[in-house]
Parts: sequence; C-alpha cells; structure tokens
Amino acid sequence: MSGTLQISSLWLLPLLLLPLAVYSGFRVLSGIARKEQGGEDRDWSVPQIEYEGGTTSPVHRWDVRFKLASFLLLAFLVVSLQHPQTALVALIMALFGYRVAAIPWRRGLKRLLGMAGFLSMFLLMLPLTAVRQSTDLVLVFGSIDWLSFNLRGLDLAMLIILRAATVALLMEPLLATAPLPVTLAGLTRMGVPRRLTELLLITHRYLYVFLHEARRMQIGMDVRGFRKSTSLATLRSVGNYVGMLFVRSFERTERVHAAMLARGYQGFWPQPISLHVTPADYLKACGVIGLGLLLVICDQFLVGRF
Amino acid sequence: MHQILKPVAPEQENRPLFQVESLSYCYPDGTQALNGINLQVHAGDRIALVGHNGSGKTTLVKQLCGLLHSDEGSVTYKGEPLSGAHLARARLEIGLLFQDPDDQLFGNSLYDDVAFGPRNQGQSEIEVDLAVRQALKAVDLEELMFKPPHALSYGQKKRAALAGLLAMRPSLLILDELTANLDPAQEQIFIDLLKNYQGTLILISHDLIFLYELCERALVLDRGRVHHDYPLKELVEHRPSLREHGLDFSFRFAESRQHTEQVDVERRQGAKKAEPAELVGQNAATLVDMRALAYRYPDGTQALNVIDLAISPGERLALVGENGAGKSTLLMCLLGILPFTGRYHFAGTKIVPGKGRAVWQNTGMVFQDCADQLVCSSCYDEVAFAPRQYGVAEAEIKVLVKNALKRVKLDGFDERVPLHLSGGERKRLALASVLSLQPQLLILDEPTAGLDPQGGELLLNILREIDATLILVSHDIFFVRELTERTLVMHNGQIALDYSTKDFFADKNLTSLNGLDFTYRDQCALQIRALQHLHEHTHPHKHHHEHSHVHAELTHQHPHEHEHEHDHSYGHRHNETGAHQHSIQSEYHHHEHPGHDQDDHDHRH
Repeated sequence: MSGTLQISSLWLLPLLLLPLAVYSGFRVLSGIARKEQGGEDRDWSVPQIEYEGGTTSPVHRWDVRFKLASFLLLAFLVVSLQHPQTALVALIMALFGYRVAAIPWRRGLKRLLGMAGFLSMFLLMLPLTAVRQSTDLVLVFGSIDWLSFNLRGLDLAMLIILRAATVALLMEPLLATAPLPVTLAGLTRMGVPRRLTELLLITHRYLYVFLHEARRMQIGMDVRGFRKSTSLATLRSVGNYVGMLFVRSFERTERVHAAMLARGYQGFWPQPISLHVTPADYLKACGVIGLGLLLVICDQFLVGRF
Repeated sequence: MHQILKPVAPEQENRPLFQVESLSYCYPDGTQALNGINLQVHAGDRIALVGHNGSGKTTLVKQLCGLLHSDEGSVTYKGEPLSGAHLARARLEIGLLFQDPDDQLFGNSLYDDVAFGPRNQGQSEIEVDLAVRQALKAVDLEELMFKPPHALSYGQKKRAALAGLLAMRPSLLILDELTANLDPAQEQIFIDLLKNYQGTLILISHDLIFLYELCERALVLDRGRVHHDYPLKELVEHRPSLREHGLDFSFRFAESRQHTEQVDVERRQGAKKAEPAELVGQNAATLVDMRALAYRYPDGTQALNVIDLAISPGERLALVGENGAGKSTLLMCLLGILPFTGRYHFAGTKIVPGKGRAVWQNTGMVFQDCADQLVCSSCYDEVAFAPRQYGVAEAEIKVLVKNALKRVKLDGFDERVPLHLSGGERKRLALASVLSLQPQLLILDEPTAGLDPQGGELLLNILREIDATLILVSHDIFFVRELTERTLVMHNGQIALDYSTKDFFADKNLTSLNGLDFTYRDQCALQIRALQHLHEHTHPHKHHHEHSHVHAELTHQHPHEHEHEHDHSYGHRHNETGAHQHSIQSEYHHHEHPGHDQDDHDHRH
C-alpha cells in the first residue's frame, strides 16, 4: 500500500508521545522488577557483567567458547534481519533463551532501560525524517502539510529497536552465565590477544573504583555549592574535575601495576582455567546457529513475499 | 598443611637480608627522595620505618622490592643485586602492602585476587586453594571468598589485601600504613596476626602506639636520609628526636591529662550532661532534626535504621562505631545526598531526600580522603571555589580566602598547587576550602587518617579555635576526647548510645560493641607515657665532649672525657623503689658549661 493518507492533526499528539510512552513503559517494568528484588535500583550506567551464581542451566553448563561463538554469530545474524516481523520472532527467541538461562528478569530490563531513552527517539525521528519513496504510505496531519509521518520510517524504527533489544538480551545469557575471567579465558582460547582480555578484566574491576572516585569528587563539588550552568566558570570547574580524575586514574594505574609486579606478575595473568568440550556443546551450538540461519532465510525469502 | 604465618624458608644465615649502600634516588620531577642511604636488614628484624610525610619511606620500600631503580648506590637481597631472575624470585618472597587496598585488589573475586601470588609462585591448584582459604581465614574473610572486591567495605579490603600477601607465605612483610582509617577491632586482627608472624617485618606508620608493641627497631628517615637507626623504645622515650621528625605524639598524653582535669572540674560543679536526642529535639532552635530516618542500599542492605537525632547549634559531637556501622551513610543523609526515608529538618527547613542544597550552604564537610574535594589548580582557587558558587563578590572572596588560609596556617600558599602539597597540608587546605563559607555546621570524617603526629597536633589546635557546630567521625579516640562533648555510638545502622563524651570514656561496656575496644592502645600509651616521664636531675655524670679549656698558659679545645655535675634532661623510668635508669646516651655530646673552661683540667695530652 502506498500513497498519502490524510488524518486529523490530533493524531500528531499521540505520535509525539510515543517515545515517551515506550521509555515510561520500560521504567515501570524495571520498577516492578526492583520491587520484586526488594531493593532499590542500582546504577545501571555500568553494565553489570558479573556472574549470576547459584543457578545452573543448560547455558551455564555450556562450554564458554561454543557459547561465545554461537551467541556472537547469532547476534550478527539478528542484526542482518531486514523485516520487523522476523526481528520480533528473534526477540521472542531471545526471551526464550533468557528464560532457559534462568537469569533474573530485572537484569535484562535494566539493560533495556539503559537503551530505552536512546532507542525510543528513533520512533519519533525516523517516521518524520525518512526520505519519501514512491512505495511509501505517508500520513499527513490535517492542514500541516510540511509534516508527514512515513510508515516505512516507523517500520525501520521498529526494526532497529527490535534488533537492538534482541542483541542486548542475548548478551545476558552470554555474559552472566560464567564468571568474567572464564568468559575472557574463552575469548583468549579463540584467538583474541591475551593482553586485550587481561586489559578487559582489569578494566571491569577498576571501572567501579573509578566510578566511586568520580562520584565522591562530584559530591565534594556539590556540597561546596557547585551548580552546572552554561558559563565559563562551569566549564573551568568541569575541566578541573575531569583533569583531576585523569591524574588520579593515571596515578592509580601506576600503583596497581607496581602492586602486580610486587606479587610476581611477569606479563601474564595466571588463570588455570580448564575448558572441556562435550557433544552437548556441539549440539547447543548447532541449535542456536541453526535458528539464526532459519531466521535469516525466512527474512530473505518468505517475509518479503507476503 | 603449611602455616601461613611461617615464612617459606626462615633465614638462618648471618648475612643481611638486605644490604643497602649509598642509595640515592631522584624522581623525574627532580625531587630527591633518597640520599645516600646505608642500611642493613637482617632476617627476623622487626622495623618501624618512620618519618615525616614525604621523608622517603615509601620510596625506600619500593627500592627494596625492586619497583624503582636507584640512581646511585646498590640494594642487594640475600647477597645479590635486585635484578633479572633474582628480582623475580625476591618479589615472590617479599610481601609489600600498599596504602590504598584498591591498588592491590585487582582480581575479579576475592579468591582470584588472593590466589594471584601463589599462582605466580607456581604452586599447584590444590596448594593455591589451601593457601587462599588459610589466608582468608586468618583475616576472617572466609565467607566473602567469592565476592568481587568492590563489594567489600574499606576494612575488609584492607584485610583482603593482607590475605593476598599471607597466601604467598612471604619471608619479609613490608606494610605501608596498615591501620589507617580502621576501627580498633580490625586493628586488633592485624596486631594479632603480626605478633605471631615469624618472618622479617617492616612497618611504615605514623602511629607509634601501634608500632610500639610490634617492632623493636626504629628507622627514622628525614629528607631521604637515615637519621636514626636504633631500638624503638629509645625513640619513643626521646622526645627531642620525636619532635625533630614530626613524630611527637606526646601532646596526646599531656592534653588527655588536661581534659581529665577539666572533666573532674565539671563533675564537681555538677555540669549538665549532654542531652539525649529526644530532649534536644524539643528545642525549637535545633540545627539538625532527624526523625525515623532510614536508608537502604541498592542491594537491599539496611544501612540506617530509625535514626532519631537532634543537634543544637554550637554542639560538638562525635560519631563513633566500627567500620560499616553506618557513620558515613548517616553523613551522606545529613548532607541530603542519599535518598533517605523519614523526616529531616535542617535549621528549620525541611530537607527533601536526595536534594540537599539547603544544607550545603551552611555546612562544610572535610572528607576522609581530602583528594576527593580538591579539584582546582591553585590553593587560592580551591578555597575560593565555594564562595564563587554562591555568587560572593570577588573582593569579598579575597578576604574570605585570606582568612581561611590563615586559620589553617597556610598563609602564603595561594599559588601553590594542591596536588603537590603534603598530606597534612592538603587536609588543612580541604578544611580551609569549607571554612571560606563560614559554615554553621562543620563535619570532619576521619580528619587524622594518614597524618603524622605533628600534622595531627597542628590540626587539633586549629580545630579547637573553630567556632561552629561540629560533627567528628573518627576512630581517633584522642580527638574525640579533646574536641567533643557528646558522643553517639553507632552500631548496625542505629544510634546505639547517645551520651556525653565523658560518660563515653567512663563506659566499661564498650567492648561489647564490636570495634570499640581501645584496650590495646591504652596499654601501649601508658607504657610509652611511663617511658617518656621526663624531668631534670642534678647529679654527676661522665661524658666525652669538646670545649675550650685552659691548661696553665695553654688555651685550646679537643674532645676529652671528664666528670660533671649539672642538670640533664633524660627520658627514664622509675622502678618501685624510686630508682631510675637512663637510656643509653651518646658518649660524645655537647652542651653549655658556664665558666667550665676556667676549671681545672687534668688530663693527658
């Protein structure tokens, strides 16, 4: 169906509120998950990639190398999908995988909430800015003819959101079903340079220290009355703050390195992690990659025809 | 099963463990950190490495571990220079604990971290597992074995860092400011561990009371040189040496006595006791009024539980309790930073959780780590920061900054860079940076942490002169005694006790509250005080010295030995019979002898 559809300009209002509604929906869901947890929200600006211990599932028991290869390949396949319908199926599959991995829902919701603000903007921007093609169906709001809502743009926005949500949800079973050192050891065995994986490991550890330090410094400024404004003084203060954070981080890096050397560090992290492959690992990998390929085939050859 | 407190191979040989000869080291910025150090460390030595902030202590231990390379001179470990394979081997035998435990806990979990050293030593996984469990058990952290380090409290991190060293069964332990910011209970864990440790021990600390029982030898550094190397007991009894190196903590004894006398006077006069929270809360002029205040951490931990607190203007109160009792969380709620539940009024204004601007304008807080609040590039800007935020005119700011710097004895520091100041100076600058707003309420979080005794004494004198409502959070019981009149004891997120500081010190049941047993410190302090009992005697004594004297026609000077009778100040102990014994004095010493050069001198030439 293509052409221009004239609708009442009142429809513009709910469309403008759409991103806000999506974002608020995520917040509500996250709030419910938080209440179930019995605590308050954590700072989700740091992606939590810690091992959710205490549970075992087929995903937990999966050899980390196969898990990494399968999930990363599946993520690439999902990103290559062209239609929202198949992307929706992919999202449902990701939710199913999430359930199988027995990871608390709140983790996934928090991750999605982190992305919600950014993604929900696509819902508004793409329909309003997509270049009109001959096959597009465009909604025009009454007499406001300079503003049109392109349904292909909405499709595109939905596709991006669904693909992003699917990949984000796939990361949880990938990262939360094994301790980070094991996951990184798996990456090393797959050929990623050891220096890089060790850097990732230590970065994850010191991200928390850095954030605590930044937070304490921010409090230190706040309690002395610091108020952000669009002025040179604010710029100077923020510059000092960032500079001081940099200096402190640099000094800490030197101290951490010295502490590592003092305990016998000789350039590599001793990680005696043994990985064992079983036939079940191959089967799981085949299943996940097979599903991904099936999705791509459906996306390319079936969905477009109907 | 091996014992972690026993070093791998106890040294039996006579040769020194470390031989340091003419060691000098200059940092790239030109700071001469070490200058001609000569030193021997023997196996089994228990050394207190002391001196001013910036005297070169940390640089020296880094040299001993081969973390820095000398510009001049040499360091040998077990007879060989610290380089190549020998250096790698030495590092596996030496345990070096850094000041900040976060520098040392780089593992993803506590287990991984403690296992780091043993794994580098090439131990099998079974041995590693055993070593890790034993080390964590020794520091009482077995239950937190698989926790990530960022989930631990400061005291737990400190213990975990030590466990990482103990698991390597080092033959030498070098510990830098081990007990800074720790409560007495955690300090006691370290004391017990180190008393039983059988290897060589080098402790860097400003806390001579802590060092007193653990070390035998004192190595005093001053501007990169070894100024004294003698028994620790001699150091603590010799006040001139302590004062010379900023280590004189005797003011604590003297002031305590003064305070005790004052307390006695108050008691005689029937001084009014500090009012408990409920009574004070009824006063309309209350500065801080908290009712049923509570706060829960994101992970669900109840950090504060039904806090009822009222503070009147001008009150000076102490907040004490073990690490993790909720003191810092209460301060964050008091500043309106954390989203608490309950009712809170500051100077009559209702404070909305998480929004504390109404508090900040009238409150100054000096953080435990003052680096957290020093962000500017000059001391002037640092002190001017707060007034500028509130729109104070630049001319007025100039006066405020000048006064604030003067109050903290940092006159003339305007253009200095805060990052380049010593620890004590930075602490005072942080204080000036909040005093510039002339706050009604001053909050000090562990003000003495990391300060040398001289810095502590100076800070104490400054704080005595400040006229503001004061909240002092400290494990330093001396500061609590000297600066406050009311004490709140926190335990498990609640105010367990709220009474006058006088009653706090008289309370014999404090040991039942985890972390408030100051017995060890009291014992050491009493012993040191006895050692420092100082007064002048007049009695004959023999010494070897040099001064002008006359032999008939000949007037000359040269070192010679003879007997004098004149006043001398000696640190000494009295025994039960009243007799006393002087410490060993240098045979050669100099002092004035009025008219002595005219006395008869009969000695051989």
